[in-house]
Amino acid sequence: MATGTGMIPSIGHAAVLIGLGLTAYALVAYVLAARGGDPRLGISGRRAVIGSFVAAAVGCVAMMISLLTHDFSVLYVAENNATSTPPFISVISLWAALEGSILFWALLATGWAALVLHRYRDRHRQLIPWVGATLAAINLFFFAVMVWPGNPFLRTAPVAAEGLGPNALLQNHPFMALHPPLLYLGYTGLAVPFAFAIAALATKRLDTEWLRIVRRWTLIPWIFLTLGIVAGAWWSYEVLGWGGYWAWDPVENAALLPWLTATAFIHSAMVAERRSGLKIWTSAMVIATFVLTLVGTFLTRSGIVASVHSFTQSAIGPWFLAAIVISLAGALTLLVWRLPNLAGDGRPSGTVSRESAFLFNNVLFLGLTFAVLFGTLLPLLVAATSGDTISVGAPWFNTVTVPIFIALLFLMGVGPALPWGSASWATARERFAIPVIAAVVVVGLVLALGLRDPASVGTLGLAVFVAAVMGDEVVRGARARGRTRDENPALATWRLTTRNRRRYGGYTVHVGVLVMAVAVAISSGLATDRTVTLAPGETATIGAYEITHDRLVVEPLANDARIIETRAEVTYSGPQSGSLGTALRDYPNSPTVVATPAVRTSLAEDLYVTLLASDAATQTVTLHLFVNPLVVWIWIGGAIVGGGAVFAIWPERRARRVTVEHPQRAARPSVENA
Amino acid sequence: MKGWLPAVALGALLALGALVVILALRPGPLATPEERADALAAELRCPDCQGLSVADSPTQSAIEIRRQINELVVAGASDGEVRAHFVARYGEWIRLAPSSAAPWLIPFAFVATAATALTIWLVRRRPPPLRVPARISPGERARIHAEADALDG
Amino acid sequence: MRHLRWLLIPILVVPLGWLLFTGFGRDPRAIASPLIGQAAPTWTIATLDGATLGTDELSGRPYIVNFWASWCIPACVDEHPVLASAHETYGDDLVVVGVLYQDAPADAEGFLARYGDAGYDNLVDAGGRLAIEYGVTGPPETFFVDANGIVRDKQFGPLTDALMAQRLASIGVGR
Repeated sequence: MATGTGMIPSIGHAAVLIGLGLTAYALVAYVLAARGGDPRLGISGRRAVIGSFVAAAVGCVAMMISLLTHDFSVLYVAENNATSTPPFISVISLWAALEGSILFWALLATGWAALVLHRYRDRHRQLIPWVGATLAAINLFFFAVMVWPGNPFLRTAPVAAEGLGPNALLQNHPFMALHPPLLYLGYTGLAVPFAFAIAALATKRLDTEWLRIVRRWTLIPWIFLTLGIVAGAWWSYEVLGWGGYWAWDPVENAALLPWLTATAFIHSAMVAERRSGLKIWTSAMVIATFVLTLVGTFLTRSGIVASVHSFTQSAIGPWFLAAIVISLAGALTLLVWRLPNLAGDGRPSGTVSRESAFLFNNVLFLGLTFAVLFGTLLPLLVAATSGDTISVGAPWFNTVTVPIFIALLFLMGVGPALPWGSASWATARERFAIPVIAAVVVVGLVLALGLRDPASVGTLGLAVFVAAVMGDEVVRGARARGRTRDENPALATWRLTTRNRRRYGGYTVHVGVLVMAVAVAISSGLATDRTVTLAPGETATIGAYEITHDRLVVEPLANDARIIETRAEVTYSGPQSGSLGTALRDYPNSPTVVATPAVRTSLAEDLYVTLLASDAATQTVTLHLFVNPLVVWIWIGGAIVGGGAVFAIWPERRARRVTVEHPQRAARPSVENA
Repeated sequence: MKGWLPAVALGALLALGALVVILALRPGPLATPEERADALAAELRCPDCQGLSVADSPTQSAIEIRRQINELVVAGASDGEVRAHFVARYGEWIRLAPSSAAPWLIPFAFVATAATALTIWLVRRRPPPLRVPARISPGERARIHAEADALDG
Repeated sequence: MRHLRWLLIPILVVPLGWLLFTGFGRDPRAIASPLIGQAAPTWTIATLDGATLGTDELSGRPYIVNFWASWCIPACVDEHPVLASAHETYGDDLVVVGVLYQDAPADAEGFLARYGDAGYDNLVDAGGRLAIEYGVTGPPETFFVDANGIVRDKQFGPLTDALMAQRLASIGVGR
């Protein structure tokens, strides 16, 4: 029941206020340090940022305690918690709704800031004050939102005896513990490369060192963002009951947009490293990534587009819009101001080269970003200009994005196999001959087997092509290494990959992408489904499975008696055998019942059963049955992508990093005869 | 040995291309009423869901709309007439994708423009081909090529 | 000419900011109804009391069709007195018709017992056919039909006294 003194929420609110103050101080201190150069201001600013992280942590702990003790004097707790809510759900309710999620966001954002500022405290002295100032400004925004329009510790009087309880969908699956934190780590982490970009533009220090830092600090949050998006798709597949994993809902698009520009940046950074051009482009990509994280968050929190995630319109919307406008205008102003300093000097390599492949890759990623943003905002645009309401849903997004994805698959195969310099057609012909033949053979086989969907067939063919090219690369490299260093093939391959982590980590990521592409193509092209109505004892078949309906059970849940579950118990036999229960749950604060599908996963396919309707009198049930091939490989592919990226940035064991402090006044080196 | 591989690859590609063209041009079997109804259901938005199609949704309105689609298709309505039936009640919103052509073309126009601009930029600014005066004799050249082939084989 | 590049900033920022700003104050789920200005759907449907009601009985009088549900809380609870008051005030000049939206008759009767039954008919929309005829996406939605059977206005979301007066004026009631 409600704590008598109500001290915990007050402590939480005080922590937020302290965080606001510390962040404001850090901003001022860092700006002054950047201008004047007194290093003690920088130290003091860094301490303030670390203090703001502690303050955010205290706030989160206070909120968690309020949720666990069901303190309904706090409005957020009253709206998202009930006395019957299990402790696990109470804890993850921290990020379940608007105000709590901003508190959680502030925790992660201040965490990243503290980490980065602490790590580089003795280096990059020209950049760090500006980095600190930018991160402090961003964090200041989030603390300000928590103090004014979106106070998580807002009290309510009179105190209700019972809360509304958490949103039905959030209680259904343990992934709610995983998906938002991963996603938020990605979103908040992407402020770091943005801060470095602002710092570099402000100090005119866009060099290879800066590029190295920004690449690393984009890759780390990118890994979290990728895993978060895949976890979200997995969660939506296991929970929502319609048998799919991606619906192009605005909240899904909001996560995808910064991911697309971040991926584009990771690739163009590799071109920018080799020749000093592309500074404008890479900075623009970094800025776009951060602004898109704000736009995405705004879209789902402002209520201006309808989404599975949207909250009703609140005062927070205008604040986020102001943040978007200010950060975009500010960053663009810096970029345009420094444009003369950034113009590239190198000439591009030939038209057919790895460099041009990477540049076309960026064009395609930019195209995807444009398409997804356009599709998400088009209803808004039409409503604003003509007052009509239109929808832009999965059919449009799939038609528009799939060709671009397929073109990207092609580049993924071709790019790494081309040399950096100009490639001749003879080289290309020779390199790609066998992969092309392999791809054609597979496509012919697949067409012969009856698959006709062009996207699926194209994806499979390209996947074989890309895999063959990559395999050829590894084999060539291992062979060359084995020959020159007299190592056996296995050792040569091992040493080759671990001594070139960036390249082979990147190849692993591409392998993961291939696995996901093939799994998506097959699972959407070859999935079967049917809807059947069964009385107890009746059997239906789908694919190689036989499904028998046993009985219908209506009872409250074991761990939360307020939730009534109507469950169809079913036995199935075929490639997998066993029994399952698929249910509809009636949550006390939800108008419609929530489907709890049953999924039986194997490496080859998923058996997926949703309960659509039931009749308690006759015990008949209407089931939607799916056989979805290869779905598990989407999640496995996602894990491979994450693992490959971790491998790519993992420091090599014998990394020799020598930091040379450039003396202020370098003595002329004297030349002596050796 | 490897000289003819590129030719085989090209031949294979052309053969595949021909096969694809033949398959695409061959008149396919007429869609059954069930298939037509399923396709139409995938195009229409479920009124009380968040963006799901009527085909994917379990709600009562979705079930009723699917029933009406089936009824209309069996009664002989064309695809356009079925769509118009629901647009008359809900407006264009019920269609999951815009009916006008512009929204479909704009993203492709964007990519095409950007790709063309990039190609022009690459071609204009490519380095001039190296012209190294040949100071090796034809015999030397032949020997070098032979040794290089031996290495790669 | 050098400074032309500064134009890039307003070109990129202003349209985006304006577009996102226009979303405020508008409910994205409130779709524009194509019924406005068209003839209202005709129907004959069973009521909660077991009788039948049809549009032919309503001809010549303006009527409003209000889609609601017992689970539609708090919106339908908030607008319930507004509808009741309209029914009492305008008597024979206006027919108020309620329609259950995806609701069980037993639950609806419980709602009426708790919040008051104003006495107007409530239709039991089996299968949701009528909701689809009117293009309803979720309760509460109310359609205003004039004496000639033309739909003149639609309210998306709960009615208030002010909104009710405004929309009733469009079908010629309460002037």
